[in-house]
Amino acid sequence: MRKISKSTKRRLKFTLFLVTLIVFFLTYRLVKIQIIDGESLKTGALQQWTKSIDIKTDRGIIYDTKGRKLAVNVTAFTLWATPSDIKNPEEVARELSSIIDMGYDEVYLKLTKDVHVEKIKQWITREVADEIREKNFRGISIVDDNKRYYPFGSFASYILGFTDIDNNGLYGIERAYDKYLTGIPGTWVKATDAANRQLPYDGEKVFEPDNGKSVVLTVDETIQYFAEVAATEALINNQAKSVSIIVMDPKTGDILAMANKPDYNPNTPRESLDPETNIQWSQLPLEERQNRWYEMWRNYAINDIYEPGSTFKIVTAAATLEEATSNLNSTYYCNGFIRDIPGVVLRCASWFKPHGQQDFSEAFANSCNVAFVNMAREVGKEKMLEYIKAFGFGELTGVDLPGEQRGIIPTNAQSIREVNLATLSYGHGIAVTPIQMINAISVVANGGNLMTPRFAKSILDENNRIIENFDPELKRQVISEATAKELLGMLEKAVIEGTGRKAYVPGYRVGGKTGTAQKIIDGRYVAGKYISSFGGVAPVDDPKISVLVIVDEPTGIYYGGTVAGPYAQMLIENTLNYMEIPRKYTQEELENISEVVVVPDVTGLRIFEAGGIITDLGLKYTTEYEIFTNQSNVLDQYPAAGSELTKGSIVDLYLDYGESNPNLSTEIEEGN
Amino acid sequence: MKARKKTKKNEPDFLILITTTALVFLGIIMVYSASWPEGTVRFENGAYFATRHIFWAIVGFIGMMVMMNIDYTIWKRFSPYIYILAIVLGLLIWSPMGMELKGARRWLNFGFTTFMPSDAIKLGSIIFFASFLANKKDRVRNFFHGAIPAFFYMGLSAVLIYLQKDLGTTIVMAGTMGAMFFVAGMHLSLIAVFGSLGYIFFKYAISSEGNEYRMARVLMFRDPFQDRLGDGWQLVQSLYALGSGGILGVGLGQSRQKFFYIPESYNDFIFSIIGEELGLVGAVFILLLYTILIYRGVITAINAKDLFGCYLASGITALIAIQSFVNIAVVTSSIPATGITLPLISFGGTSLVFVMAGIGILLNISRYSIKKDRSVIDEGNN
Repeated sequence: MRKISKSTKRRLKFTLFLVTLIVFFLTYRLVKIQIIDGESLKTGALQQWTKSIDIKTDRGIIYDTKGRKLAVNVTAFTLWATPSDIKNPEEVARELSSIIDMGYDEVYLKLTKDVHVEKIKQWITREVADEIREKNFRGISIVDDNKRYYPFGSFASYILGFTDIDNNGLYGIERAYDKYLTGIPGTWVKATDAANRQLPYDGEKVFEPDNGKSVVLTVDETIQYFAEVAATEALINNQAKSVSIIVMDPKTGDILAMANKPDYNPNTPRESLDPETNIQWSQLPLEERQNRWYEMWRNYAINDIYEPGSTFKIVTAAATLEEATSNLNSTYYCNGFIRDIPGVVLRCASWFKPHGQQDFSEAFANSCNVAFVNMAREVGKEKMLEYIKAFGFGELTGVDLPGEQRGIIPTNAQSIREVNLATLSYGHGIAVTPIQMINAISVVANGGNLMTPRFAKSILDENNRIIENFDPELKRQVISEATAKELLGMLEKAVIEGTGRKAYVPGYRVGGKTGTAQKIIDGRYVAGKYISSFGGVAPVDDPKISVLVIVDEPTGIYYGGTVAGPYAQMLIENTLNYMEIPRKYTQEELENISEVVVVPDVTGLRIFEAGGIITDLGLKYTTEYEIFTNQSNVLDQYPAAGSELTKGSIVDLYLDYGESNPNLSTEIEEGN
Repeated sequence: MKARKKTKKNEPDFLILITTTALVFLGIIMVYSASWPEGTVRFENGAYFATRHIFWAIVGFIGMMVMMNIDYTIWKRFSPYIYILAIVLGLLIWSPMGMELKGARRWLNFGFTTFMPSDAIKLGSIIFFASFLANKKDRVRNFFHGAIPAFFYMGLSAVLIYLQKDLGTTIVMAGTMGAMFFVAGMHLSLIAVFGSLGYIFFKYAISSEGNEYRMARVLMFRDPFQDRLGDGWQLVQSLYALGSGGILGVGLGQSRQKFFYIPESYNDFIFSIIGEELGLVGAVFILLLYTILIYRGVITAINAKDLFGCYLASGITALIAIQSFVNIAVVTSSIPATGITLPLISFGGTSLVFVMAGIGILLNISRYSIKKDRSVIDEGNN
């Protein structure tokens, strides 16, 4: 037997030494990995096991005042990728891109992005979602999502606003009440294996979402519909740039309807409703296009200011009556012009046929500028400014829609020069928002109280239980109830006998005031561009609604009474009918209903002659054209001669220019 | 020398027996745990792999017991035939019986079971090489009589395995035979030759055409996170497993990484799952069991009654040592990744049976130890 050599034994012992070294080294490696680097590795491992999935909340519904749904949610599908789980992105990208109709490169980029999860495409159809689910790609998941949907399209779009792709409210109620509507998203944390299957332990943790709350508006879908129709007709018939209508409950400040035309569809907020405009837009650079969008989304009724014109005379009259600088029996004499302000001559709308001697309410009904300049002078500039402010001009109304403007009023009484005071009295040289204007009109309608206008009245939880009520908010009493009543009477008179005749609704006592103002663009009055409006209250004996119809840049005739009046009339009649307010006909109305007159032919006649013939027949006429003289002739009339009209109806007279009057400055404009 | 006369036969080395048994049992438990997810998903049976593993463990025990009781000197007589048989088995993979799995031809299909010839080649080569070295005696130091033929056999065995595209096992084979040659008295200057030859071979293996993937793997171990979705995936997952195990582990059966994060977690990377479920304590305990096994193997070699016994014990011990250390080094990302199973623990029938058979031989050698349980290094008693 061969003995084992010493050298072999030595070498074997040496290997034991080597083994010891290796064992120490491996132990060191284990300690390093399991303890020293343990925490960070654990975190890395945890990240790859844990898939945290956001549980989207159901966005709250937006209801109208009667519980009709104006904004709802529909199920849509979103395609997500977990790039770290995708082993062969080329193949997945190729297949996906053909299914979802998206560029291969774009999909590939998303699949290989260095992020935890990446959204590939939002709002794919159910069919596409099913097809992808069938393929069962690793690292690709489909999440059911809620998509905001506005069942009536562009209906009430400026009230509702819209949301972005992630359901964040961007405009309107969606924005203003976003925190209620959104709720608190939940999270679903689960541990998964490498193929995204749930691991058998740890369970899953679900942090339940707090679903969005629903908002109940003060808006009534039916009245909104009337407003939308009226606005559309006003827009088309006047070939106007835009029309804005607000209907308010004067007692509470509740907005019952608010319509702007043209509008947009909140389901597709980045597309114009006009296909041709869309084509134009598609050729614009993104920044330009965005500017167009912002313009389209502007809520004119709240975000924009305009010069109110004669509707503002309500404020002047209120100040005068409240301060008792005059009373209903005071008289004002109109010779057609205000000539005592150095450097300017202000004229009355009816300067060619001065109003002469008139009492307070006649002056109001006539919308006589001369009378109102005198009233403002009696009140004084300090008090005038006080009332302007008291009526809420120059401050935010506090309406619950975003982006409200303050308007522009004189900063202090000292800055009001004589000419400013004069023009202020009939609503020029001041800028207000439509919402401020209707709010001021509502002060007269509700007995003198300035309310905070509001769109939302309550918040509902998921089970439609009221969890929060918003109460009508009184800002302050502006004028006494008595003054308000007197003003109401004058408003009614303006409709029955004055400039607001076109808003007259038989059986309902409508009060109102028209207004026309030349537009100011870049600080200068622009010839031929007007904003015409009608602000009204009905019924005068117990006002249920106040309305404001504003027509921006009507083509042709632009007097507020003609341009806005008929649509206010239509709106008031429809709304009061809908509200089941009974009609109360006066004796005169009952007679007029049966009494029919034949329209005479007055074309070619001088304006005085034509007017005389028409009024003698018991009809009324409008000669609302700006630049004409007493030499003007009637070019055309509507309705045409031979038509039959009930007594008290109105005939529109269209005049030529006559001789221009070089003495008159056109930079100071007046209302009718 | 190879007298079969009844010399005094001792009890087999108790520590080798007990550590082997412990490792096999732990292996069964860990294979069950680690393979449960794949068993459930692929075969709807969580114990699918475990039951097979238990079967092979029983076969392995029987094999070990049989080997333990067969006088090891018999292997010397049959060593050339054993070697030839191993080579034939190795070549059989190119016959119709050969099986390709995951792009590598490493298996033989016997119908009732698959068989990895590399396991047979490993044990066969060790037996034959031990016999060769014992026969050479002192001429081992001679260049022409010792080194040249030794290199030839080492090369033959290594190439045979390398042909199966199994670089890891090739290295283990070459390392094992190199260790045997070293123990037998290889001239130390040859280490340089050995080293450069190994380097050239390794260089070829990782950079030759069609094997570029090996290069990536070689470079990857230093920072597997740089390509955690690609070549670094397995290593990153292994580190995640070990790291989340911490000191005490997440608990037996509680691994998350075995859920398809670590591919074939019951096989090459089972040590990661051990580290995850049983923590540093469990991992070091396993390492300790291997260390004891190896120590006792070396002691057995030192105390062997003859040269053949000494070299055979060295070879078997070296095989277990190199394979287990390389495996643990790979899963701890300490050396370039290579696919090697963890002996006695990883799932795999052939490997388990052959390693246990090898330990059976080792145990038999220990029964003829000259110094009875008394060595300078060994202070244990059995």
